[in-house]
Amino acid sequence: MEALLLEYLPILIFLGIAVGVAAAAIGASLLLARQNPDSEKLSPYECGFEAFDDARRKFDVRFYLVAILFIIFDLEVAFLFPWAISLGEIGAFGFWSMIGFLGILTVGFIYEWKKGALEWE
Amino acid sequence: MEVAVVFLPLIGALVAGLFGRQIGDKGAVFVTCGLMLLSMVLAIIVFFDVAIGGNPRTTELFTWIDSGTLEASWALRVDSLTAVMLIVVTVVSALVHVYSVGYMHHDTSVPRFMAYLSLFTFSMLMLVTADNFVQMFFGWEGVGLCSYLLIGFWYDRPTANAAAIKAFVVNRVGDFGFALGIMAVFFVFGSVEFDTVFAATPGQVDTVIEFLGMRVNALEVICILLFIGAMGKSAQVPLHTWLPDAMEGPTPVSALIHAATMVTAGVFMVCRLSPMFEFAPTALTIVTVVGGVTAIFAATVAICQNDIKRVIAYSTCSQLGYMFFAAGVSAYGAAMFHLFTHAFFKALLFLCAGSVIHAMSDEQDMRRMGGIWRMIPLTYGLMWIGNLALAGIGIPGVFGFAGFYSKDIILESAWAAHSGVGQFAFWMGIAAALLTAFYSWRLLLLTFHGAPRADEKVMAHVHESPKVMTVPLMVLAAGALFAGILGYPYFVGSQMEAFWGGSIFVLPENNVIEAAHHVPTWVVLAPLVVGLIGIAFAYLLYMARPDLPGRIVAHARGLYLFLYNKWYFDELYDRIFVRPAQMLGYGLWKGGDGAIIDGFGPDGVASASRGLARRFSRLQTGYVYHYAFAMMVGVVILVSWYVWAQGG
Amino acid sequence: MLDTLAFPEVFLAIAGMAILIYGVFRSGNPTRPVSWLVVLALVVALLAVWFGPEQGQAFGGMFVLDGFAVFLKILVLLGSSLAIILSLDYVDRENMARFEFPVLLLFATLGMLVMLSANDLISLYVGFELQSLALYVVAAFRRDNIRSTEAGLKYFVLGALSSGILLYGASMIYGFAGTTNFDGIATALIGNRVEQPSIGLIVGIVFLSAGLAFKVSAVPFHMWTPDVYEGAPTPVTAFFAVAPKIAAIGLFVRVLVDPFLGLVDQWQQIIIFISIASMVLGGFAAINQANIKRLMAYSSISNIGYALVGLAPGTEAGVRGVLLYMTIYLFMTLGTFAVILCMRQKGRMVEGIDDLAGLSKTHPMMAAAMAIFMFSMAGIPPLAGFFGKLYVFLAAIEAGLYTLAVIGVVTSVVAAFYYLRIIKIMYFDEATDSFDRPLGWEASSILGGSALVILLFFLFQAPLIDGAGAAAASLFAG
Repeated sequence: MEALLLEYLPILIFLGIAVGVAAAAIGASLLLARQNPDSEKLSPYECGFEAFDDARRKFDVRFYLVAILFIIFDLEVAFLFPWAISLGEIGAFGFWSMIGFLGILTVGFIYEWKKGALEWE
Repeated sequence: MEVAVVFLPLIGALVAGLFGRQIGDKGAVFVTCGLMLLSMVLAIIVFFDVAIGGNPRTTELFTWIDSGTLEASWALRVDSLTAVMLIVVTVVSALVHVYSVGYMHHDTSVPRFMAYLSLFTFSMLMLVTADNFVQMFFGWEGVGLCSYLLIGFWYDRPTANAAAIKAFVVNRVGDFGFALGIMAVFFVFGSVEFDTVFAATPGQVDTVIEFLGMRVNALEVICILLFIGAMGKSAQVPLHTWLPDAMEGPTPVSALIHAATMVTAGVFMVCRLSPMFEFAPTALTIVTVVGGVTAIFAATVAICQNDIKRVIAYSTCSQLGYMFFAAGVSAYGAAMFHLFTHAFFKALLFLCAGSVIHAMSDEQDMRRMGGIWRMIPLTYGLMWIGNLALAGIGIPGVFGFAGFYSKDIILESAWAAHSGVGQFAFWMGIAAALLTAFYSWRLLLLTFHGAPRADEKVMAHVHESPKVMTVPLMVLAAGALFAGILGYPYFVGSQMEAFWGGSIFVLPENNVIEAAHHVPTWVVLAPLVVGLIGIAFAYLLYMARPDLPGRIVAHARGLYLFLYNKWYFDELYDRIFVRPAQMLGYGLWKGGDGAIIDGFGPDGVASASRGLARRFSRLQTGYVYHYAFAMMVGVVILVSWYVWAQGG
Repeated sequence: MLDTLAFPEVFLAIAGMAILIYGVFRSGNPTRPVSWLVVLALVVALLAVWFGPEQGQAFGGMFVLDGFAVFLKILVLLGSSLAIILSLDYVDRENMARFEFPVLLLFATLGMLVMLSANDLISLYVGFELQSLALYVVAAFRRDNIRSTEAGLKYFVLGALSSGILLYGASMIYGFAGTTNFDGIATALIGNRVEQPSIGLIVGIVFLSAGLAFKVSAVPFHMWTPDVYEGAPTPVTAFFAVAPKIAAIGLFVRVLVDPFLGLVDQWQQIIIFISIASMVLGGFAAINQANIKRLMAYSSISNIGYALVGLAPGTEAGVRGVLLYMTIYLFMTLGTFAVILCMRQKGRMVEGIDDLAGLSKTHPMMAAAMAIFMFSMAGIPPLAGFFGKLYVFLAAIEAGLYTLAVIGVVTSVVAAFYYLRIIKIMYFDEATDSFDRPLGWEASSILGGSALVILLFFLFQAPLIDGAGAAAASLFAG
């Protein structure tokens, strides 16, 4: 029990220091800086121009759809990089595994295409 | 093939029972009768192969129970004993099926009736083909259930319901003994397979077990317990009271179940277990005494009954007594022989009675019949054959009706046993034979002869039954005529040894059937003579001098009432068992159950449960975060429990 | 490299994708043909499992096949295909006819098969997630229905949490055993049997069990069950109640018995705890329910409790009891849901228990079948449910877990109350409205078939018991 906990002591110390540093930074600015808020200072910063609208508004659901589809394909493609590098070592089995994987991905792609998920209107 | 014999009726029952509404009355009748007839034909083939051809076998179907050391299979054991029963059951059942088509024609639930009949047949076949005690018990309870259903077939009649319940309860008493017996068998032998048990029996003769605080011989106890089961099923004194009441069921049922097949299951069981009973002399003595007492008791009651079916019912009871005392003196072959012949002539008598009842517009009281023999000559003639067979009339050495051979060999065996109980049984049997002949002819004369005592409307309707009813009667009549003379050499005569093969076991010193062939001539002739005397008496009282019965009754009123009320058995049971049980039950219900147990038990627990239930359902708030929280708490509790248990 | 051991799984995967493509290219509404194609694929897989090889390992030891897996795979495939057949009518009527539905169920089934054959924490997780993801979607399949959406969302959130817990447990186990392979873990455990098993490993097992307990909906990880059962479309609920339960309990048994048999003293206490909690909560909470799907949810919680009673001893007899129990549970549940699926009055689904009133007069056969299921669930002999309970309790008693067995018996008496109440309502209460139309042939044959199985089980139990016994033995032999 003791030994086990001792192993995690560095993490505890790390957490303690992190909390301490963060608290010190915020506390220092709170204590030392001059506090003089106005409406401009309190509004969200948006690339230098004024905010058009409230940030909490509804998006078209199609954004989500596209975003999710993008993430799926993006992530799956990311698998290709380690595969491509290690292709020489993993042999035919590795090769065909990836082909099978891409095949499955293609089936999904055909499905979403036919379903019309890729069309905006 | 024997698989088909056994399972065809089940198929019929399922089809008629489950799809009766779809296929209609005609369809149900057609299916059940067709399958039953097919089963009968196959059974006859099996009989010739197994019994005549000497080819017994056991067909293993599959394992049924395999729990610890208790192992039982579904297996069909067909040897000579079973083959005889197969013939009896399938033939009578098939004929009754056909007969019912006519008899139940006007009923509103024909498919149900046919389904019950077929289901009964299946159960009975299961019983006789059993190769272990458990399977036999299955069939045993199956026939009991069907009997209950069929007695109460007209469930809108209170009397039928009461009779059905009575039959069920009285049978339970017997079945309890049977079940205890099976458990004792398993306890002593460690198996319920017939072969294993039979093989081990000689080695267990001296085993002693503790029973009711006494140290007694195990085998005797087992046999007596099993015999109690047989007494219940075969309506032996004192468990006979349900059989006459069972006549509330439709007449074909009485013929099939309460005359030819189910009630003989007890006899069959004793014969099947002959390798055990042979080593239990006390049990055999009890069997003999009970059989003898029942034979005479039932016969005395039968002479005073007025209901045509009850007379025959008591007659059945009495004939079963014959079979039992035959088995009791180790004349198993004779018992089976009588069982065989009795099935034909008693079914014939019942179905004839049914035909009469049918003709008389559902009248069952013989005092309101009479003078109809010219109107229904065929039934009348067949009834004669049945009665002659029952009374055991025949010319020695030339020809006799079925009962002549079987009853004689039983009485001769009893005499030849040369034991006290054998003598007792013999004289009881002779006396019962006298009474048998008397009540048979009383029934015949009261029903068919004399002046018509029914009203004119009924008399105008008297008619012969349709072909579908009379043809089965004629087949049975053929059986009543020839079953005796044809069966004699095989069952008890010269071919006996070869016929039974190994299916019946008799100790060498108990071989009474052999001895029965060498008894004095007067013993041989006695049953015939008393039979004729009985017939003469009946003729005198009910044809020649119809005023005599009344005067006799007036003189011996006490005796008459005693017999008329069946020795007051029902009243006695009512006083001793039923009412105290009711009072006890009432007391426990009101005082014990209602006040104490319900108050603290179910009612209290129930309200507590309800409270708990309400609280539990309130846990379900519907908020995801509550649920997630509960899961996390669960994990934390489990983990901390471990860490704590390990650390501490 | 693929040998035929995994043929059913590979076949299902390919078939699923092919059917998906077929469905999306076909004009009109392809739900019905697609459903039948899916059923066909499942049946082919069933036959392949039944007649295929019985033992072996594949994919470098990540995939294992033994009698245990074969037995449960047959049950799962049977349950899935019957559940899909049951859904056919409902899907048409309730405007839910989209062909993705059967395909998703097929993928869920595929996931279950992988779970049952998992011999490695990785393959366990892959199968587990495949079936979970498919099920999240079908729970919310009626996306225009607020309750269905809510059910799907709840299931997803809590399911994700449980996956996280499971993964955490798996990583702990990996950390302390040094391998993810079950055989390897078992060897590692035997290696240091002398010492006290380390706390980290125990914690890992607890977390892993918690994740699995969520799937079988054992208390205290059951909270999603009533809401999801009630909210999800009824055929989905029927599916939920059958196939995933069987697969998850199979996985539960395999994980605890295969790598961790050496730690039986440790995990036994977890199982006893959640088993008792499930039986008690499932028994009592159901009493107050008025919605039959909710009632079935609590019923399944308590049934899982009974099945876990068989797992608690960690013996061969116990596992045999679990297998038998799940087999019987499959038929009882499917039959009951067949009845629930035809509870429609005036073109609208009803789910109240009181709506069953007078069923014995309006639909006598259906009422009789339902009565058989209820009596069986209540454990009345000689119906199948009685034997299911009998064998698990026997196993518990043989292992000396008397308290567990006694609590089981007591709670089954409590549970009998609400089962019998349904019978009482069907037979003695006055009918309000009759149900719309009789069942289609598919549903009525499933209903009748299940009823017969339950009714006649006692006659034909020997082969099944032998099969379950052999399956259990194969788990312990390996």
